[in-house]
Amino acid sequence: MTAVAAPPAEAVKESTVDTVDIVGCGVLSAAGRGLAPIAERFAAGVSPVPEPAAEPDFPALPVRPVTGFDPAVLLGKKGLSRMTATDRLALAAVADALEDAGDGPSEMDTGVVLGTALGSAGGVLDFLRDTFEQASPYLVNPSHYPGTLMNSPAGKSAIRQRFTGLNATVSGGALAGLNALRYARTMLVAGRAQRLFTGAVEELTPTGAWAWHEGRALADGTALAEGCAVFALEASGAGGRVLGRISAATTGFADPGAGLGGVSERLAAVVRDALAEAGLAPGDITDVVPGASGRRGWAAVEERGLRAVFGPGQRTRTDRVLGETYGAGVALNLAVVLSGWQYPWRAGGCGRTAVLTSAGFDGSVGCLVVTRPDQS
Amino acid sequence: MPEQAARRVVVTGLGAVSSLGNGAGALVAAVRAGRSGIGPIGQFDPAGFEHLLAGEVTDFVPEEHLRRLDPARWGRSGQFAAAAAHQAVRDSGAEPAALRSGRTVSVFGTTNGESQILERLAEKVSGLGPSAITGAAAGQADAGRIASAVAAELRLGGETLTVGTACAAANYALGYAFDLLRSGAADAALCGGADASNRATHAGFHRLGALAADVPRPFDADRDGIVTAEGGVALLLEPMETAVARGARIYAEVLGYGVTCDAVHMTNPDRDSIARCIQAAHRDAGVKPEEVDYICAHGTGTRANDATEVAAVRAVFGDRLPPISSLKSMLGHTMGAASGFGALLSCAAIHEGFLPPSATLRTLDPELGEGVDAVPGVARPADVRIVQNHGFAFGGNNAITLFGKVTDR
Repeated sequence: MTAVAAPPAEAVKESTVDTVDIVGCGVLSAAGRGLAPIAERFAAGVSPVPEPAAEPDFPALPVRPVTGFDPAVLLGKKGLSRMTATDRLALAAVADALEDAGDGPSEMDTGVVLGTALGSAGGVLDFLRDTFEQASPYLVNPSHYPGTLMNSPAGKSAIRQRFTGLNATVSGGALAGLNALRYARTMLVAGRAQRLFTGAVEELTPTGAWAWHEGRALADGTALAEGCAVFALEASGAGGRVLGRISAATTGFADPGAGLGGVSERLAAVVRDALAEAGLAPGDITDVVPGASGRRGWAAVEERGLRAVFGPGQRTRTDRVLGETYGAGVALNLAVVLSGWQYPWRAGGCGRTAVLTSAGFDGSVGCLVVTRPDQS
Repeated sequence: MPEQAARRVVVTGLGAVSSLGNGAGALVAAVRAGRSGIGPIGQFDPAGFEHLLAGEVTDFVPEEHLRRLDPARWGRSGQFAAAAAHQAVRDSGAEPAALRSGRTVSVFGTTNGESQILERLAEKVSGLGPSAITGAAAGQADAGRIASAVAAELRLGGETLTVGTACAAANYALGYAFDLLRSGAADAALCGGADASNRATHAGFHRLGALAADVPRPFDADRDGIVTAEGGVALLLEPMETAVARGARIYAEVLGYGVTCDAVHMTNPDRDSIARCIQAAHRDAGVKPEEVDYICAHGTGTRANDATEVAAVRAVFGDRLPPISSLKSMLGHTMGAASGFGALLSCAAIHEGFLPPSATLRTLDPELGEGVDAVPGVARPADVRIVQNHGFAFGGNNAITLFGKVTDR
């Protein structure tokens, strides 16, 4: 989609531009908490070799759990037992992003937009198992029910922070994080919120690990992982510290059943649309960050699309460091880009204009263009 | 990029897979007659439950609706959405090939995604442990496949987005599609919602004590809860200029929408937040309270929801309330599809001139206060120009859409 949201005249508040700024972030990943440990891992060039999970229910599949995250310390013990792993990651990342961004617009103009493939897989499956295993199928734990819904982490984050503005949850498999960023940008440009804590979350569960294992869905050398990245987004132009600027976000679809070549072509088209939207040429891009490189078969589908636009060249692979985080992938890749701008981990610097893409199992594709604002 | 005036957005196609029939025509006729879609549970084994009714789609044969999707590879929610979207395109008279430009988006809301796939996975894990999971089955579980199913079936190339804001999700989907069309970011949208009858939802509401003894009776003095239900609904949205240029029948214009979050409690509704949502929707649509002819209520039939909803409406409208009724009296609670069915009936009410009924209402709850017209029994003829369509959800997600009659085409 080429046309970008020219803001509707009657809805305009401050939103006279179509870019949004990242004014803070909260990240929990295999590298640790925040951007600095991510930069350290990339600077070191090697990451610890992933090992199979110690828990007995997991298959012999290398995993990268989130490190440096103690939910009781970050969130307090109150209410913790009613939270799924997804809830905990998201609530902590939103809190960190808020602390990083500092005070902002009023609570009524502040909201949360989270992406997730299907919510807490662990929460849903445990709840369903109770319906099969308890004496009666309805003898489930009622306090666990809200956690089975996809919108649980966004709703609970809003309660914790008293954000009464726009609150949304979107899905989209591997595109969930990119979808959340695109949705939030559309909302900010339309003037429906002033600040949106936007990101994506994915948890590591035995069932999920078996699905990836049995489906042989991971690329060789890629570990299954979890994580959450949340960014405080505001319409550009408010001033203040800006970590990065989202200049374009495009998504599209091509049915893989009609041929994987069509998916690559569709990806190339949405990348070109995104570049046009951002007013950039392929040669302006200093960093190309694929999102599907950890998924067997799909890495090649994505690379074909990228080659059609950029030709062969360097890609920033993140799956060897952070693992395959599926719905959270593009959001965590954005954290990797920002980590390089905050703590340059590449000799000669980490550039200033990044393209982040992904291609999902269902044939959905997307592209994000992020630029580093001029330092002043 | 040149500044572009906001485009007007209209609804030109309707589609439904429901317990009251397949196709918008069948559904609207059944609603006008106040018929019930509630019956015995058939989509999962109800043994051991004390509540045995649901609003299920009993006559859905996927092969009769889907040309491209293989029903063995797509979940029931996605099948519902794709079938409803097919109908909406046919109903609109739009040229299917024209929708394949890459600028037709698919935006659908859901509460539980592909819940039946997850249910089958859980049953396997329960019996055999997590190693019983197969990659192929798990690959069908993503909620995002609902919007993708529509795009695959209709060969659309545009954005696919599945919104997971529980029982307000279809209104969220409509709102997002509206913003994309209004700004020029998309040229057409198939949007709505879908959910399948499933064990987890039934057990959850059962345990919360929120299931009705028999049928749901929204606004009734003796109301005692919801009945879980399923269905899929789709609307074709396009810019008014496109619709007029091709001589399309226009059901209604999307005037605007509002969204708020309670940020108080995950399951209890909040009057002030809903009132704020109504005001946000009015502001966005440029509508004054006295101009609203009808409210298609969230109206679940629980004591808390209906009382809170009417109190919120009263907080905005004062003592002159427009007629307010609940489709859930007939369909049950179709979860993520619910506000999409509300949108479909809002369009039909404007186009055909009637107020949908609260079909099961016997004795209006006096505690709701004076001046509540919940349209008991069957539909009532009325000149309906502006409709307000409610969708509220666990998680504190509220979304309200506004539809209006087009009189100046």
